[in-house]
Amino acid sequence: MKLRLSVIGCLLGAAVLLSGYAIVSPNDPWPVPEKYEKMPNPVKADASSISTGKSLWTKHCVSCHGKTGAGDGTKAATLKTHPGDFTKAEFKAESDGAIFYKTSEGRKDMPSFKKKIPDADDIWSLVNYIRSIK
Amino acid sequence: MWVLVTLLSFQPGFSQDSTAAETPPEKPKQKPVKNTFESVWIIDNQTVMVPIKGTFEMDFQHRFGVVKNGYKDFFGLFASSNIRLGANYSPMDKLSVGLGLTKYKMTWDANAKYSILQQMTTGRWPVSVTYYGNAAIDTRPADNFVHFSDRLTYFNQIIVGRKFNDKISAQIAPSVSHTNVVNGYYSEPGKVSPERHHNHFAVSFAGRYKIKESMCLIANYDQPITKHKAGNPHPNLALGLELSTSAHSFQFFAGNYYYLSPQQNNMYNQYDYTKGEWLIGFNITRLWNY
Repeated sequence: MKLRLSVIGCLLGAAVLLSGYAIVSPNDPWPVPEKYEKMPNPVKADASSISTGKSLWTKHCVSCHGKTGAGDGTKAATLKTHPGDFTKAEFKAESDGAIFYKTSEGRKDMPSFKKKIPDADDIWSLVNYIRSIK
Repeated sequence: MWVLVTLLSFQPGFSQDSTAAETPPEKPKQKPVKNTFESVWIIDNQTVMVPIKGTFEMDFQHRFGVVKNGYKDFFGLFASSNIRLGANYSPMDKLSVGLGLTKYKMTWDANAKYSILQQMTTGRWPVSVTYYGNAAIDTRPADNFVHFSDRLTYFNQIIVGRKFNDKISAQIAPSVSHTNVVNGYYSEPGKVSPERHHNHFAVSFAGRYKIKESMCLIANYDQPITKHKAGNPHPNLALGLELSTSAHSFQFFAGNYYYLSPQQNNMYNQYDYTKGEWLIGFNITRLWNY
């Protein structure tokens, strides 16, 4: 009986550990269609665009991605998927088109913003701002 | 009128780069100016903003009692409050239609808002112009009325707003309120005269100043214009703070309007700020995009 309880305890413990691991594990690969991967950013990253992007970032993104894009926003801990760290080289290597695609379409915890931000130029400005975050 | 002239003549203080004169400047794209305000509400008035197509919005509005009773009713927060629950939807761009229910007189309102003109980035249209109107019905028991039509009131408003720069926006909004029935008095034996007009004209001024990206100071002033024989309404002065997120707007303020229905406020407000008759209120909006 004791052995059975120990086995059940171990299984439960393993399940808890594994579920915890699943929460913090790296995100699944997020394939980006080639069309978007190679899409050039049509909005120049000037002061006006950065300002627009910052405003959108503060309104729509900060709560999960955090002020500096490190993925430490106030809501981040409640997400099933870590929002990613935009300060890392891995993210910086992504093309503007890829960031545009992911922002527009969304996936799992990441909502689609193409309805909330209906002007594509505004999403490109958001991409410009994300690029400017140090 | 001078306010309108000032509103139209004030230009944003963007500086010009003198070195740019040597290269032919790119023709900027002409687009509607966005986010003149953060919400469809600015305290007791509608803003020029109309949600984009497919937006469903819910409104939760409270007005508490006057603060001057102090601790007795905890500055009005424990006094009888007025509440409005509202919902609206934008079936197409520039148009929003909605319904609301207000606790005072159990008043249902059906409302519509249409963006007639939008301020453009290139200055082609220096202001945004929006129409807002509602029809409201008092749904208290029938023994409060003689005719069914006595239950009905209406409100129509033209809102002219301008975003001066990223921080400052302002609007001016003349309005007319109509009520089908007014109180009467015996002006001579056997003759009853109305104590007020059925139509009431007023004008509202409102503005916001952004302190941070998601935080604004907001202000609103409503001036009655029509003079009645009795029961003239007091103006409304309100100041507050607005916090906005991706899908919410929270406005907290102190002002003088209690009724939550614009025609009731404009025609019947009896709270006078010169006598310290302030009350605390809040508006919360939640947006969904479909």
